[in-house]
Amino acid sequence: MNAAVPPSVTELIEAFSQLPGIGPKTASRLAFHLLRGQSELALRLADALHGLVERTQFCSICYNVTENDPCPICADETRDHSLVCVVEEPLDVLAMERTERYRGVYHVLHGALSPLKGVFAENLRIAELEARVRSGEVREIILATNPTSEGDYTAAYILQRLKGREVRITRLGRGLPMGGDLEYADAVTLTRALEARQEL
Amino acid sequence: MYIQSLSLRQFRIFNRLELELAPTTVLLLGANAQGKTSLLEAIAYLAVGRSPLTHIEQHLIHWDAETQGLPFAHLEAEVVRHTHREQIALAVERKTLSNGQARLQKRITINRQKVKRSALAGHLNVVLFLPEDVGLIGGPPGLRRRHLDDLLAQVYPAYIEAANRYQTALSRRNALLRHLRERGGDRRQLEPLEMELAETGVTLSLYRQGVINALNLYADPLHRDLTGGQAWLKLHYLPSFNPRRPPEMAYQPALMPEDVPTTSAAATLRVAYRKALVQHRSQAIERGMTLLGPHRDELRFISQERDVGIFGSRGQQRTAVLALRLAELRWLEQVTGESPVLLLDEVLAELDRARRGYLLSLLGDVEQAILATTDAEMFPPEFRRRTHILEVNGGIILPST
Ligand SMILES: [Zn+2]
Repeated sequence: MNAAVPPSVTELIEAFSQLPGIGPKTASRLAFHLLRGQSELALRLADALHGLVERTQFCSICYNVTENDPCPICADETRDHSLVCVVEEPLDVLAMERTERYRGVYHVLHGALSPLKGVFAENLRIAELEARVRSGEVREIILATNPTSEGDYTAAYILQRLKGREVRITRLGRGLPMGGDLEYADAVTLTRALEARQEL
Repeated sequence: MYIQSLSLRQFRIFNRLELELAPTTVLLLGANAQGKTSLLEAIAYLAVGRSPLTHIEQHLIHWDAETQGLPFAHLEAEVVRHTHREQIALAVERKTLSNGQARLQKRITINRQKVKRSALAGHLNVVLFLPEDVGLIGGPPGLRRRHLDDLLAQVYPAYIEAANRYQTALSRRNALLRHLRERGGDRRQLEPLEMELAETGVTLSLYRQGVINALNLYADPLHRDLTGGQAWLKLHYLPSFNPRRPPEMAYQPALMPEDVPTTSAAATLRVAYRKALVQHRSQAIERGMTLLGPHRDELRFISQERDVGIFGSRGQQRTAVLALRLAELRWLEQVTGESPVLLLDEVLAELDRARRGYLLSLLGDVEQAILATTDAEMFPPEFRRRTHILEVNGGIILPST
C-alpha cells in the first residue's frame, strides 16, 4: 500500500478485501466512501459489527446463527423435532423458511466437503449431526445440501456415516437447477423439491 | 464432411481471418511461423474443444489482443455434413475477477446454442498429423492417454462426461489422501469418491479398450502396406486396473464401444475396481495419490514381437504413428459414416518417396484434406494441379497466384 494512505485506512482496506466477492479496488472504494461521508455511517457499521460478534452465537442444537440459544426454531414446540433438514449455510435455512411449508427443524453444516479447498469432515458440523441422530429423537434426515458436485459428495458422505442407524434418510428431489445454490432457489421450486424428496 | 468456411479472430497469429474452403485437397503454402500450423490447430480445437498443441489456452489468444484491452479469441466454422450444415463456434476470453485474479472463460456454441464441451462430439471429426507425432509412440504415457481421450471425445459425449467426472473425483481423492496422511481424519470420506471413480473409471477403460480393439483391425494391414508387407503392428492396451479376470469377463475383440458399458462385465468390473481401491487405501495414503485407474493406463505399440516405443528406430516409430493416424481415419469413417477432415502438417517431408505416394493416394478418398507445407515441390505436379493452393503469410491467407 502507498505511503500516502494512513495505516488506519490501509487496515480497513485490507479487512474489506478479505470479504467474499470484494477485490482490492472495491475495498479501497468502500473505505474511502466511509471516510468521505459523515462519520455517522462508519460508526453505525462499527456498532453493527460489534453487535454481530458480541450478541450472535451458534445455536447449540442446530448451529444456525442466533442471538438466543437454543434458536427460535429449535425452541419452537409446535415444530416437528424428529424431522431434521441438513443444509450447508444459514442462508439456506432462510430459503427453506420462505417456503412456509416446512415444519421440521434444521442442522447447519457450515459448508460442504471440498478436499481441494481444504474442507474436510472435521471442519463441518457432521459429528454434531451424528450425535443428534444417536440421541434417538430424529426420525428423518433430509439432506438439503446444494445440488452441486460438492453438495452431492457431502450428502453421500453423511449417508455413509449414518448408515445402520435407525433413521430415514432422504435427499431433496431434483428440479433444483443443477450447480446452483439452495439460497437462490425460489419458494415454489423448493417446496416441490421438498415434497419430491427421495429415500436414499 | 468438410469445412465450408472458417472465421478466426485474435487466434494465435491471426488477427482476423475469413476463409472459404472447398471439399477438395487444400494446400497451405508458406514459410515457418506464418500461421499454417495454427490454422490446423484451430480446426482441431473446434472438433474437441481443446488444443492438440497446448493446454495453456491463454497462449491461443493473439499477443496483441491483451494490449488492446480485448483479451479474447473467437473461432467459428461452418461444417457441411452429408445431410445438413452446422455452425460451430468457440470463444476463449480472459476475465479479470474482482479480486484481481485472471480466469479463462470458454464458451462453446453449436448453431448459436450454448453447449457443454461434451456436446461437441460427433459434429466435426478430424484426423491431425503433426511432425511431433513421432514422439507419441515412445514418449510419456500421458501423451498416448490424451491422444485416446481426444479421439474418443470426437465421437462419444458420454466419454467426455465420464472423463470430467473422473478427473474431479480423482483430484478430490488425492487431496483427501494427502490430508489423511498429514492430519488424519475419517477414511469414510473416501467412499463416495471411490464409488465415483469406479463408476466413471470403468466407463473410460471400456471405451478405451473398445477403440483400441477397433483400431487394431485397421492399423495392422495399414502398417503392413507401409512396410511393403514386412511388419505387423499391434496396439496393446494395458489398463492400470486389471483384475485377473475369469474368462467370461475377457473383452471381446469385436465389441464396439457403444455396446460396452451396458454389459454385465462393466458392473462386475466396477465392483472389483472399487474393492481394489479400498484394498490399496493405506498405500495410497502413504503416497498421497491414487495408484490405480485409467489415469495410469498404458498403450504400447508392438511390431514383430518388439515394443516400437522402446526398441524401434525413429523411422519405425514414424511408420507406426502413420499407421495409427490412418487407422483413426478408417475408424472415424466407420463409426460416423462420413470421412473426417484430414489435417496434415509437414508430414510428407519426413517420409520417403514410396510412403509419400501411399499417403497422397489415400487423400483422394476423403472429402477434404488440408495440408500445410513450406515446399510445394514436395508434391508431384499432377497432384498440385488438383489442389487448391493458398499462401499463408504473417497470419494472412490468400489464393496462390
Ligand atoms: Zn437451533
